Amino acid sequence: MPPIRIWKPEDFRLDPSRPLYEQFVEQVRAMIARGELEPGTRLPSVREAAASLRVNPTTIMKTYQELERLGLIVTYRGQGTFVTEDTVVIGESRRDLAREAVARLEDTARSIGLTLEQMLALAREEE
Amino acid sequence: MTEPRNSDFRFSNAVDAAKAPAIRCREVTLHIKKKTILDRVSFEIPAGSLAGLLGPNGAGKSSLMRILTGMVPPSSGQAELFCAPVGPERLGVLSFLPDRGQLPPYLGAGEWLRLAAGLYPDWSEARMEELIERLGVDRGQRIGAMSRGQEARLQLLTCLSRQAPIIILDEPFAGVDMVSRESIAQAVVGELADGERTFLIATHDIREMENLFDRIVLIGNGRMLGCHDVEELRAGGRSVESCYREVFA
Repeated sequence: MPPIRIWKPEDFRLDPSRPLYEQFVEQVRAMIARGELEPGTRLPSVREAAASLRVNPTTIMKTYQELERLGLIVTYRGQGTFVTEDTVVIGESRRDLAREAVARLEDTARSIGLTLEQMLALAREEE
Repeated sequence: MTEPRNSDFRFSNAVDAAKAPAIRCREVTLHIKKKTILDRVSFEIPAGSLAGLLGPNGAGKSSLMRILTGMVPPSSGQAELFCAPVGPERLGVLSFLPDRGQLPPYLGAGEWLRLAAGLYPDWSEARMEELIERLGVDRGQRIGAMSRGQEARLQLLTCLSRQAPIIILDEPFAGVDMVSRESIAQAVVGELADGERTFLIATHDIREMENLFDRIVLIGNGRMLGCHDVEELRAGGRSVESCYREVFA
């Protein structure tokens, strides 16, 4: 049996004014991307996760549905939910996260009248 | 997206049509002597929800809960549980934790639980054992010697060991220490995940509970001030707390 990951409320930073499931999806995706959640790790059941995180079970259900849709977790009937062992999917997800991060940086650059490259060059300029 | 405030709250939130509401109030009004305690309160709680009843002291939350339990008949309007009117004959479908309720101080926790098991026809021993574990209740301890948090956990245990489909908790966190609050919140979630039960919880403790609620009902001065799906609020950039502040500030 692979190791099971038990979540604690401290593992997530939640903004109460954004949909919670979106934030769980983002943060679990990041955990998988940086390898903190290893391929094949077993995840707690919806009920266990909701109880230990003290959130509504519907939130966890939606989180798992979305992660499953992204191919990052898989559920085997009667066995539980696991982080995918498909490294291609994990690699693609990491690339998507990188693209999203760059898009956000580009927005920031635009807001101060620079391109991303100009902003990076400026930030790295010696005094 | 901004939610219209004080709009037609009764119908503005689409209730999952597939699910019959566990709790429905239609224009519930309560007068005591010449005073209006509740003024045409209307809302619905779909089955399987964990709903928060929020409002300042004296808003009418406890009165509303007493109407739902059938202890006090409304002066006018209808209150229904699973589409049938509330009343003493409907006590079997709900389990109620009253505000400032007291258990007999001279009994030990185990003795109290044996007594409660005899009182309630829908008592589940298996559930009780699971909850004793989860809530960390010491059967040997005398109730009179318990802290507020320990007694609150025993009260919740009593409430949840029944199999009633509707659970109504009036201020389960009042005066309860943080660790007990956390284990109470955890036990509530554990019960909900079966999807069989519907909770209505009156609380001031928005921070502890805001991630748990899927629906909030706001009342102030006996009037309905809103009924929201919490994830919809968040999709519009609002938190339970900011909504509460806007309504009651």
